[in-house]
Amino acid sequence: MMLLVYLIMLPFVAAWFSLVCRNDRARTAFSVFLYVIMAGAGVRLAYLVCTGMPVVVFGNLLRADALSAFFVVLITCISLASLIYSKGYLVHSEEGDLSPRKKSLYYFFFHIFVCAMLAAVLVDNLGHLWVAIEMTTLASTFLVGFYNNKTSVEAAWKYLIICSVGITIALLGTVLLYYNVALYGGVKSLDWSVIVSVASSLDHRLIVVAFLFILVGYGTKAGVVPMHTWLPDAHSQAMTPVSALLSGVLLKTSIYALLRFAIIVNKTLGTNFAFTVLMYAGLFSVGVASFFVLVQKDLKRLLAYSSIENVGIILFGLGLGSPLAISGALFHTFNHACAKSLLFFSAGNIVKRYKTHNMHLIQGVIQAMPFTGVAVLVGLFAIVGMPPFAIFMSKLAILTAALATKHFLLSALFLLFVALVFGALLLHLGKVVFGNKPKNIPRVPETLSVKLVFSVLIAYLVLFGFGVGFPLRLLLERAVDVVRGI
Amino acid sequence: MLYAFLLGMIMFAYSMVINRRVTALIRSFRLQSLFLALLTLAFAYKEGSLEIYIVALLLVVLKVIGIPNYLNRLSKKINIDESLGLFMNPLLSLVAALVFTFVSVLFGTVVLRNQDPITCISFITAMTTVFIGFFIMVFRAKAITQIIGLLTMENGIFLLAVAIAGGMPFFVEIAIFFDVFICVIITGIFLYRINRLFTHIEINRLTELRG
Repeated sequence: MMLLVYLIMLPFVAAWFSLVCRNDRARTAFSVFLYVIMAGAGVRLAYLVCTGMPVVVFGNLLRADALSAFFVVLITCISLASLIYSKGYLVHSEEGDLSPRKKSLYYFFFHIFVCAMLAAVLVDNLGHLWVAIEMTTLASTFLVGFYNNKTSVEAAWKYLIICSVGITIALLGTVLLYYNVALYGGVKSLDWSVIVSVASSLDHRLIVVAFLFILVGYGTKAGVVPMHTWLPDAHSQAMTPVSALLSGVLLKTSIYALLRFAIIVNKTLGTNFAFTVLMYAGLFSVGVASFFVLVQKDLKRLLAYSSIENVGIILFGLGLGSPLAISGALFHTFNHACAKSLLFFSAGNIVKRYKTHNMHLIQGVIQAMPFTGVAVLVGLFAIVGMPPFAIFMSKLAILTAALATKHFLLSALFLLFVALVFGALLLHLGKVVFGNKPKNIPRVPETLSVKLVFSVLIAYLVLFGFGVGFPLRLLLERAVDVVRGI
Repeated sequence: MLYAFLLGMIMFAYSMVINRRVTALIRSFRLQSLFLALLTLAFAYKEGSLEIYIVALLLVVLKVIGIPNYLNRLSKKINIDESLGLFMNPLLSLVAALVFTFVSVLFGTVVLRNQDPITCISFITAMTTVFIGFFIMVFRAKAITQIIGLLTMENGIFLLAVAIAGGMPFFVEIAIFFDVFICVIITGIFLYRINRLFTHIEINRLTELRG
């Protein structure tokens, strides 16, 4: 199937085109066109794996099952939204207009970044997975340090070094797994599909050690506490469309990598050991992040800490291990990506207009920018889990599963932390949205492309609040089967 | 022969923790990589595999010649003062390094069971190198040492892959080389930017972002 090749090549073509093309309009139109095709290919892939077997090309170089297809759909949709938003954002960015050369560099790194993320979820070999995840760091470092001022370069350096160390530790884990497979599994291969088939014969002690290295390694990239320290810096300093990608998709790609290893470990041990570790790591992240959310002053840092909290929720849900919990967690992955992109995009508009990240200086957004104000409100109620929105459904599924599997104390803690974040976000963002706008801020309507992106994201959050729609539900069910190793 | 190369690797890992100057640290790194390359060559000869020969060649080109030269040029260009800015004096650092070796031995007894001595010693050397790389990243102030620490950690992992697991699949190995290469280039670019904006490259003085 050439579908998988197209998925990786299309952003590559877009990257090349953004370097050679000097015409702004043509470049945008062409890359949006390519991304629409990509999103279509993602949906087509999802359809194929739902109705049949995993798609494989080049003798297992690329392989897509339902879990990969789910993440492909996530990545293509959010990056399309982010690309369209970038167009309006770059016109008058926070640091004034960008030169044409900087613009084409921005798009180049943007496409390479997307390409690396797609490669990460489509390769079968765990070594290649490692390479792809490291490439996401390298490509996005430039986007974090794009403004080239003191804060952004510092953030980029921290991001680059901390994530590289983390990923190096993950490589150590991968090598230990390979040693285990070569010695006890009887095959010299790092292909995930091969390792899973010999998983039951692997050495138990060695695989636990390898998994702990993997957890620290990819956990760093996923923003699991206490390895999260790069995350608020990078998210707050990156260009806003990229912040949305980092938070909505990149963290999830690392979770995908963690999941792939957890499936092998569970199969080897015959227990839910790996998931249990993920569950406690997730709950710990939720707890720590909830206190940090309370004390934030910077708008984008607030959203970054909320991302750490949501990664925690996803890991907690995956860790519970029952079908309901896993499907809830995967659904939450999608919902969080949409809601957080909506919030980051709005924050980008706000920061551009008010020229500050400090929430004490931002008031009356709903007067200054009615459309953005409404988007912030919707995003706010969605992200804290109010009923008419999709996140309510996914959080409810996770909580129900936690109670059904008799984790009463953990459920109580989970609820406490989530309630804390609810209050904190309401307090902070409520002040931003309401109140009187400062006199010097003019009232200017948003551009059409921004409105379009916001409307689609809001529509998703509202529609899926009434339950998981049919096509997505089928994909989720198949993905849950993959995670549970059926 | 293999033992001599392993000894060389661990010796230069120790010398890294007692180096006080940037050029000395880069030289230690270069020599350690040289021993890693020799070791890889020996394994390639032992297994008679063309792929491991190529890996050894790449090690020489990248880690013995290319990257150390690049780092030397970088440190000359940004005109940093020579001292590394130690948070822990060399003697204490050496004690820490010995503790790392001890921990690696303990770790080896847990993970490896009934393996031949060369595998065990390779494992201990590799883990010690990884720990020392991490130690250099944390306990030295200059940003350039973080790059070297990262590369040292990778040296340890490469040793593990070659000596214990008999070399990773070829294309994975090549892809990892490519990644390391790009990573060094990019960290170099950012090092340059930090130096220009802050007029120093001391990590403990990068404190604009907090909370």
